[in-house]
Parts: sequence; C-alpha cells; structure tokens
Amino acid sequence: MIRDLGWIDVFYLALAMRWTIVLTLLGLAGGSAIGLLIAAFGTSRHVPARLLAQGYVGVVQGIPLLAWLFIFYFGFPIFGVTVPGWIAAAIGLSVYAAGFLGEIWRGALVSIPKTQWEAAASIGLSYTKQLRHVIIPQAVRIATPPTVGFVVQLIKNTSLAAVIGFVELTREGQMTAAATLQPLAVFMLVALGYFCLCYPLTQYSRFLERKLRVAR
Amino acid sequence: MSLVELRSVVKRFGDHTVLRNVDLNVEKGEIIAIIGRSGSGKSTLLRCINGLEAVNSGEVWVDGVAVHDPRADLRALRAQVGFVFQSFNLFPHLTVERNITLGPRIVRGIDGKAAEAIARDALKRVGLEEKLHAYSDQLSGGQQQRVAIARCLAMSPKLMLFDEITSALDPELVGEVLRVLEAMAREGMTMLLVTHEMNFARRVASRVLFMHEGTIFEQGPAREFFEAPKTEELRSFLGAVLH
Amino acid sequence: MAYSFQFRDVFAARDALQDGLVLTLQLTATTITFGFAIGLGAAAAYMYGGPLLRRAAQTYVEVIRNTPLLVQLFVMFFGLPSLGVKLDVIPVATTALAINLGAYAAEIIRAGLESVPKSQVEAGLSLGMTRGEVFRHIVLMPALRNVYPSLTSQFVLLMLATSVVSQIAAPELFYAGSIIQSRTYRDFEVYVVIAVMYLAVSLFLRAIFAICYHLLFRRP
Repeated sequence: MIRDLGWIDVFYLALAMRWTIVLTLLGLAGGSAIGLLIAAFGTSRHVPARLLAQGYVGVVQGIPLLAWLFIFYFGFPIFGVTVPGWIAAAIGLSVYAAGFLGEIWRGALVSIPKTQWEAAASIGLSYTKQLRHVIIPQAVRIATPPTVGFVVQLIKNTSLAAVIGFVELTREGQMTAAATLQPLAVFMLVALGYFCLCYPLTQYSRFLERKLRVAR
Repeated sequence: MSLVELRSVVKRFGDHTVLRNVDLNVEKGEIIAIIGRSGSGKSTLLRCINGLEAVNSGEVWVDGVAVHDPRADLRALRAQVGFVFQSFNLFPHLTVERNITLGPRIVRGIDGKAAEAIARDALKRVGLEEKLHAYSDQLSGGQQQRVAIARCLAMSPKLMLFDEITSALDPELVGEVLRVLEAMAREGMTMLLVTHEMNFARRVASRVLFMHEGTIFEQGPAREFFEAPKTEELRSFLGAVLH
Repeated sequence: MAYSFQFRDVFAARDALQDGLVLTLQLTATTITFGFAIGLGAAAAYMYGGPLLRRAAQTYVEVIRNTPLLVQLFVMFFGLPSLGVKLDVIPVATTALAINLGAYAAEIIRAGLESVPKSQVEAGLSLGMTRGEVFRHIVLMPALRNVYPSLTSQFVLLMLATSVVSQIAAPELFYAGSIIQSRTYRDFEVYVVIAVMYLAVSLFLRAIFAICYHLLFRRP
C-alpha cells in the first residue's frame, strides 16, 4: 500500500542514521586495531613484516568494498560460524578500513625525518621511549587530517551495508522510497543525512590540515 | 613622447606605499640602471612598466600605450617589452628551443621552421647555440639566465626590463650574463636594469637612478652619479655598497 | 570443515564473467574520460572563474564528496524518472560515475594548478600571452605531472567503485557475480574469484598508468 511521504518518514530516516554512525564507529575501531598492526609491521626493520604489511594494503586496496562485504557475509556460514549480518558488515568494513588507515599511519611515521630519531636517541631515550615521546606525537599530528578524511569515506562506505540487508540510512531510504513511491525526495533526504554527517568532518579535516601546514 | 613615461605614479600594497609620486622619462636607446636598498621600490617600478603590477594612481605610458588604463591591451604591449626575472622563470617542461619559440609561435603566429630560425638566432646572440635541445635543469644558472634573455630577444622587443637578473647567480657566472647585456647595449637596445652591479652600471649605463623610500631620490649621467653624488642618502648608500 | 570448495562451477561460468569484465573496463574508460574533463572544468572554474562560477564549482564538489556514490546513483536512477527523464541503466551508471569522479578529480587537479609557481605565469604573461594561452602551454602539463600519482590512484579507486552500479543491475563484473551466485549457490567462491579479478585489473591499470606517465611526461 502506498502512503504519502510525511514527517514520520523523515523521523525514521533520521533514526536510521544512528546505525550508520554505529557501523562507522565499529569499522573505525576494528580498522584502527588492525591498522595499528599494519603500520607497525610496515615500519619494522624486518623485511618479512614489511612485506606482509605491503601485501595486506595492496590486496585490500585492490578489491572493491562490496566484494569484501560479500566475502565475509557469505564466508562466515561456510566456515561454520553464524554471525548476524551486521557483524559481518562490521568486520568487512574493519578489514577494509585497516588497509587504508594502516597505510596512512605508516606514511605519517615514515615522514618523520631520521634526524628526529637521532636527536631523541642522543638525549638518551630508548627505542620505545623515542617512539612514545618524540616520534608518535609528531606522527599523530601529521596523520590526523587524512584520518579524519578517511572517517568521512567510512561513513559513506556504510551505505554499501544496505546491499547485504543491514538497515542503516540507505536501506531505510530504499524501503521508504518503495513505500511512498517518491524516490527523488526520499533519496535527496538520504543524501542530506549523509551530508550532515560528512561535511562537518570534511571541514574539520581541512582545518587541521591548514593548521599543520602553518606549523611547518 | 618618450618611449616610457611615468607621471605621478603611486603604488600601494595594502597599507604600505611602495612608490610615491614617481616621475620618469625614458628615451629610445637609453640604458638606465636603477639602484637602491631592498624595499625602495625598484622592482615594483619595473613591474609597473609592463603591467605586472597595476598602479593605484598616476599614469604609465609605454610606446604610446596607457598601461594604467584597465581596458588597455597589455598583450600587444608585452610582446614588445622584454622582461627578464631574477629567478629566470624558464619553463621546466619545455626544451630551450620551445621556451624561446613559445612566444613567436603563440603570440605572433609564426610557424615551426621560421620560429626555429628565430630561436637559433637569439641563442647565437647570447652564445648558447649548442643548447637548443637541452632542458633548463641541465643548464647552469648563468646559462639559464642567458636563455631567458634569448627568450625575450626572440620577440624583437623595443624595450628590455631586467629585474636584478644576476642577484641569484653564483659570482663566477655573473660575467657571462653581463657580457650579453653589454652587447645588447652596443646594438642600441633601450634597457632598464634594476641591479646591484655598480661597476657594470658605471661602465655601461647612460643614466643611473637612485631609489630611496619609494621615490627617485637622485639621478644623473653614470659618471657624475658615481663620482659626485649630490645627496647624503646616495653618498651613504654608495659608501656602504662600494667597499 | 563439512564443505568442499567448488570453484569449478564458477570457472564454468567464465563467459559471463568475461562479459561483465568487458563492461567494467568500458565503464572505467568512459568515466575516466568524462570525469577528468568535468574535474578539469570545475578546477578551472574554481581557480579562474568569477565568484558565481567559483561558488558553483565549490558546491558541486562538496555535495558529491560528502554523499555516498550509491545514494547518488539511486537519486539519478530512481529519482530522475519522476521528473520525466527516462534513461537506460548504462548511461545512468556512466553519468553518475563521471559526476562522482569529477568532484574528486577537481580537488586533485586544483591542487596541481596551485602547485605551479606564480612566477611561471608572470613569465608567460610578460611574453604577451593571454591567460588562456598561459594556462594551456605553461600551467596545465606541469600541474598534471605534479598530481599524476594522486589522480591515477583516484582512477583506480573509480574502477573498483564501478562495482556499485551492480545495484541498479548494470551487467558489469560484480553483477555477473551475483547472477552466477544465484544460479550456482556458490556464494563464497564466486566473490573470491571476482575479488581476484578486480585485484588483477587494478594491478593492470596501475601498470598502464605508469606507462602513460613515461609517454606523457618523458624527458629524452
């Protein structure tokens, strides 16, 4: 039965945004955990570790996110593990995010000039202390703008979870469009919802980048 | 009318007034050296002449063209006025030949073969004929600057403006560039040079201008200028510079 | 593990996969061409246009970059017919992809244009060239050379993103996968094969772009 598009639909769309946010945060958390490992491996002195990190990044960045989502969604049952769809989506997003975050963070670490390491060593700091007090604080400042930029990508990427049936903003939009036969208005509202989430972060990332450039 | 006429030119950058009521006449064939401290407005004066900087008030006339008029067709004028920069500004993605033929080809519509002949000729005048197919990063600073001069010469200009063209060069490379300038002067080119090369100015220039705090503080024929400076400011500047 | 991987069924359908792959490559090529043109136009509008053009370019870039491709696709495919515009799947897919790529390309190209020193422009103007001539002969190629890695990375990302148009039933590689999946029930194997195929294409594309760099920006 077709109903008119009303404020109740806008309300439900807004409500669905919370799942977009939850999925983004899950992907960010998982992606960060794995990404830290990738960054650490990628800057290791041991060649096998670096190759492993490079391989991970290369493979993840060379395969569409949709494929990753489907692989995890269909893969888990095959290996005898039953997980709800949204967990498969979260894991797929995490694996994907790690491939980008790991590379961003590795890049930030590598961009710290060797002279900083030398200066830290010459005041008597051990390797871990050099990392903790001198290198990582600087790397964090350099990595923050692109990381915030990637969070924006992640928010947009959660829209693909709609394809495996997870009811976040886009899926809610699809259902609403089908129910009201007003696809243009509904999907414009959906776009607006994403815009409201993404635009502030995009501006923040630009602000951080400007600050960083001035500081250098 | 003189080739270049400046009448009461004022130029401001924000709150800072760089040129204060500058008047200047340049006749054809004159070689004018402009000296002064940094910030005295020398480069800005030059850039106002070919319109790279717009004046805030006053008039700039070059070869009968009102440069200060917002509606002026600066394109045609600039094709007649060569400008050589301190940092050469060669086009890194083009060979020396293409750097030099770009102007003739695009602005004058001269075709390939004729343009190449012009390039060879210009390079011969600066003594770099063999570098026709080199790229700028394969050349020394002095060679790059000579190519930059050749690039201007290819347009057969009526007037050449030089903005501290030897300041960015290693000392041993300055001579080759100055020799090219001397040759051009002998051929009768009208030249305005902002320079720190005092000996060159004294030898080659017909007239020297001393710029101080945005005005032409003193000027005169080269010999008189250097041997008998009239103002205290010029005396102290020359004293600091000629040691 | 009480499951044996059956890749045989997937390989049996390789004709369907090949057809899908061909469309993916075609979509990629068309989108890169139009997307680059749009991006160049938007970047030029931003850098050299009046306040109105600049605002328009900025709005376009911000709206596209802050909304998902899937939603943009749905707006075009499901939304436009209600305005009386009837389009086939592939034109809609190409248009949505090109508009999407254009916004990302615009940002990258703009950074490239800004990276060319102002002194180069002054040198060109001083020879009597117009601003248009200066742009074409002096600014453009060095600008593109400076951002070539970012730009081509974006193109590779675009190729991977063509998988999204499977959601409006455009018969490219990913859609071919879902068809095979529904026929053979080999869900997992199908998508693993598809993933490997995308990986191969992305490596192939990167190699092509590396060759293009040498052709475009070579120095004898």
